[in-house]
Amino acid sequence: MANVESKETFRTRLVRLVGGGAVDELVKRINDLEAEVQENRNLNVRVAELVDVISELLLPIATQDQARIAAAIAKFESSL
Amino acid sequence: MAATSVPKVDGIRVDDAGFWFSTAVDEVVDVRFDGRRVWSFWLLRDSQPKSGARFTPWPNALKRFLNGVVELSIVAHVTETTLYSEELTLGEGTDRIAVVNQAGAPLGLDKTNKLMLTFDTRSAEHVAPLLDSMETVLAALKAAGIDAFVAYGSLLGAVRAGKLIGHDSDADLAYVSNFTAPVDVIRESFLVQRRVTEAGFSTYRYSGIAFRIDIVESDGTIRGLDVFGGFIAAPYGEAPAMLYVMGEVGAPFQRDWVYPLSEVTLEGRTFPAPAVPERLLEAMYGTGWKVPDPAYHFSTARTTVRRLSGWFRSTRLMRNEWERRYSHVRNTMPAGAPSDLARMVVDREGGIPPFVVDIGAGRCGDALWFARQGAKVRALDFVFVASQAVQKVVADEGVDLEIREMNLNSLRSWMGAGARLAHSSGPRVLVARHLVDSQSDPARKATWRLAEMALRGTGGRLYLEFVSGPLGGPQGRELLTPISAEDVEAELTRHGAVIVAREEIEEKVPNGEPGRPMTRMVAEWRT
Repeated sequence: MANVESKETFRTRLVRLVGGGAVDELVKRINDLEAEVQENRNLNVRVAELVDVISELLLPIATQDQARIAAAIAKFESSL
Repeated sequence: MAATSVPKVDGIRVDDAGFWFSTAVDEVVDVRFDGRRVWSFWLLRDSQPKSGARFTPWPNALKRFLNGVVELSIVAHVTETTLYSEELTLGEGTDRIAVVNQAGAPLGLDKTNKLMLTFDTRSAEHVAPLLDSMETVLAALKAAGIDAFVAYGSLLGAVRAGKLIGHDSDADLAYVSNFTAPVDVIRESFLVQRRVTEAGFSTYRYSGIAFRIDIVESDGTIRGLDVFGGFIAAPYGEAPAMLYVMGEVGAPFQRDWVYPLSEVTLEGRTFPAPAVPERLLEAMYGTGWKVPDPAYHFSTARTTVRRLSGWFRSTRLMRNEWERRYSHVRNTMPAGAPSDLARMVVDREGGIPPFVVDIGAGRCGDALWFARQGAKVRALDFVFVASQAVQKVVADEGVDLEIREMNLNSLRSWMGAGARLAHSSGPRVLVARHLVDSQSDPARKATWRLAEMALRGTGGRLYLEFVSGPLGGPQGRELLTPISAEDVEAELTRHGAVIVAREEIEEKVPNGEPGRPMTRMVAEWRT
């Protein structure tokens, strides 16, 4: 394991030596891009949850019928 | 992949530390105790060079059993060739080693090295309830509009030999949605879960497209069957249509390899299967799927893991870690209640508040204490089993403590809880001890919105206690990340709260050494 790590360190050092700051900058940009892609992917759950809340919870609440609201909340929570 | 000839393995020795041998062949072998398989490992993949040989340590899950006498054999799994067999004494015990559960049923390690009641020790009579449950769940899904089929290990066993795989311990079901975009597939999964719940089943959601259905079997035991959702992403440009199935599959695929479903035989019964099961098995296990491997490790492509996690797993953030944290103590009653924060609540409120909501209640020590003092208590946490011991006491004592699962990473979950609290009447106090120092930014902001929903216009207060230094990320193995008191105060203020009290204290450390800075804060929403 130690050998692998020292090899990687050597390789990283060599790449940095040859590429200068450009390699570090590209690695950072890849990391940033990956994070941004994941942020966008996370929106799928977010949007699906919002639509579910609106259709299952907010519409019954908008009726202002207390019994219907209580029933909608109970049904919603039990189905998560 | 695995060889079909007898692997050449020399100098095999087994001791209290593990297995020593020399070989150049990577092949999967079974470790048998008195003739029964208890574990499997790959000779090279799962060993390391040590003292001129290869060495594989005992897996942690088996260590507590290794105290006594056993006839230990090592057998090549594919060819069933015995490579080693000796009567051994491990540890200092003199009784025969028995790898069994409390009821005396034989246990073995599955491919994830967990001790399970694997199928190879179970009779047809024991397996029948599982097959019944599979049929029940498939029917419930069918009624909810989903054509599910046997998948993963269950499909592998059915196609290979018409039997459940000996070293497996559960059954897997899956389906492939008609939708092609993750957001629609998730919405469909929510709807399916709701329909299954309405049909009377308990469920537990793992991610945006995977959940478990709990079946009560005839002897009263509860069996959870996992339902993995999937979908086929449409082709674009030169990229082919891709099948994604939770939790490991991402492969070029055609819909007509799944639907219309075919049938397979499993333990003498007929179950639905993909149209071309071999295609799905290859997507799940690679081209070597025909060769048995009880120590199989998925080698899911990084891009598939990232896609599945990004699309579907954001609500699971830190849940595995907390489940692991609580797994060893969930049947032990929590000690130390009331906490100093609970005492502060009583002091500032002038007695026991009539209604306490504990957010991130964990093992529910404080929640139970408040309930025993006569408060109505609602305890919320995303690891429901953390409070298993207290849940039993609640049933016995009849105190007014309701414990519910609530996940602040899931908008549906915290909004549902918030709506219920907003719809309830009367004054209330919210307590959150070591919650904000264990959350992501979005989850912490959800906490403020939940508190606002629960407290605005009620005259109630939010009591917080958190580690507030030193800053700079998670420390050591603990799951807390200190957060600055100024940041918490600023966020609360932005969310419309008024800070009515703030105390800087020092963490109590058992050995008397200086503890970290901690903060207690009390907030109200006045209008």
